[in-house]
Amino acid sequence: MVDRLSASLYGMMFFAFLALTGCPTPATTKPEAPSAVRPSAAQKAPASRPAPPPSSSLGAAQRGTAPAGGPLKDIHFDFDKYDLRADARDVLKANAGWLKANGSARVEIEGHCDERGTNEYNLALGAKRAQAARDYLVTLGIAKGRLSTISYGEELPVCKEQNEGCWQKNRRARSVVVSARPAS
Amino acid sequence: MIFRALAVFLCFWGLSSQPLYSQVKGTIVNPAERYPMAISPLKNLGTGEDGAKLSVGIADVIIRDLELSGWFRILDRSAYIEDPQKTGITLGDFDFRDWSVIGAQALVKGGFHLQGDEITVELRLFDVYQANQMVGKKYTGKVRDFRRIAHKFADEIIFQFTGVPGVFNTRIAYVSTAGGRFKQVYVSHLDGTERVQVTKDPTINLFPSWSPDGQSIFYSTYGYLERAPGLYRFNLFTGRDARFLTGGGLNLGGKWSPDGKFVAIPLERQGNVNIFLLDPAGKIVRRVTDDAAIDVSPTWSPEGDRLAFISNRSGSPQIYILELAGGKARRLTYSGGYNTSPSWSPSGDKIAYTGRVNGRFQIFTIPVQGGDPQQLTSSAGDNEDASWSPDGRFLAFASSRQGRYHIYVMQAGGENQQRLTGSGGDDTNPSWSPRFE
Repeated sequence: MVDRLSASLYGMMFFAFLALTGCPTPATTKPEAPSAVRPSAAQKAPASRPAPPPSSSLGAAQRGTAPAGGPLKDIHFDFDKYDLRADARDVLKANAGWLKANGSARVEIEGHCDERGTNEYNLALGAKRAQAARDYLVTLGIAKGRLSTISYGEELPVCKEQNEGCWQKNRRARSVVVSARPAS
Repeated sequence: MIFRALAVFLCFWGLSSQPLYSQVKGTIVNPAERYPMAISPLKNLGTGEDGAKLSVGIADVIIRDLELSGWFRILDRSAYIEDPQKTGITLGDFDFRDWSVIGAQALVKGGFHLQGDEITVELRLFDVYQANQMVGKKYTGKVRDFRRIAHKFADEIIFQFTGVPGVFNTRIAYVSTAGGRFKQVYVSHLDGTERVQVTKDPTINLFPSWSPDGQSIFYSTYGYLERAPGLYRFNLFTGRDARFLTGGGLNLGGKWSPDGKFVAIPLERQGNVNIFLLDPAGKIVRRVTDDAAIDVSPTWSPEGDRLAFISNRSGSPQIYILELAGGKARRLTYSGGYNTSPSWSPSGDKIAYTGRVNGRFQIFTIPVQGGDPQQLTSSAGDNEDASWSPDGRFLAFASSRQGRYHIYVMQAGGENQQRLTGSGGDDTNPSWSPRFE
């Protein structure tokens, strides 16, 4: 990403500093030149970016498609809540049944929020939602090592209108099969 | 080509830099009370014919800055009587009556001289009633940097009137979807010009935040080394983009302490987010909060001795303040069921935050010691994520009042709300830079 940055960036930032120089008479301000460091070659991020699993919501967004449906169903939450409703527990029981029947499958549970509120808080809320779903699956006998979590907060909504129907769809934990290999 | 000579010089005429006026100090609520000022197009002091654009361009930058401040009423150019190309720019070389008759109490005049790609600009601020010069400055630089020269003099005008320089050479970092479907981090000048895209990869980029020296910005991004977002630091001077902290779960945006010795950051561990302190090398040195609730959005007191943050430990998100020397966090907000995004004012006495009112989000401030919040926005749409200017006299925030989100700026009391950005996407999450000089 950095190597594509326009060189104008550097010029612009250097000019953030207008050097004050000695004038004929009263120079009242000392020069404060930047400690200029020459960008030898734009340095790249330390590692290339691994692609997210194709089935993940971020992977779908990168392809510009809607997240694909899988064998596991979404669960839904109330506004600003991460406790599991009765309907969510029923769905997770069904998901646990599938996981027991497909013992080599690994699953990533995505926590999502509706658009209302603050991005940062919603990312933390999504983490709580994903974790609540994971914890419940573990109590149902699914091995911890098969279940990972990630929060997308309000960043990847499935529905973009501003009404409760839409918001409810977005307040979800989505379980994505990321690998058929058993957890190491 | 990357480096341009730092060839912008300032010379002082040795005039007093004491504030000559105190009446515009503080907040002017009523636009009719704003100080009436004329900003004349500049005189071309050279022989070239190609200066017309600069003549008006430099004046326009100063006008936009002073209008953003909310303290001045800039008289319309069409009412100006004198021809700036035919009168002088120094005391005695023009007639103050040409300006007093149109109602100007202060006047900016100036001239410029072009030599190749170099420009010399003289700018002078006059008191029309006293018929004297308040300040005059001379700047030399590249022609392409004429905007920066104009901002410098606008800062000087603010200093003359209020005793504190303006903030027009600062920048705003923010997140925008203007470039496509993903949020990317941008940095632009306060007036929206010189916009630079910092992140470009097709993934979610969030939470830009400036270092105290203004040289680098932190941001969080999904999927460099780990699945969860990590904290990266982009150096605006070298172009170096480097991992600061990844792994273990969500890394939700780092905030430098004012002295640059620590970074406060919300980190996820097994689904639970708490606030930690890192050292400047990115090593975790302390866990600040330790509970099962959500703890996010730390903001430092100017002294660096306290953190305000958001916790839902009471059942809903509210602002808390914690003394880093020890003790229990004190809850600050009690009105409203959803209060987030705290930002501690540079003067230390207030915290700006986002609160939910009738299903919409608005910007508030509340005294640090507690008390009644003051609601600063009330427009249609949502108003979120306030960030203080380094002088504490303005707030930048994101608002959807015109449909899509854009960055706006207002005075610290909520007056003079003006739009800064106008991209085709949603512009959110502003972070106001420190002063660069």
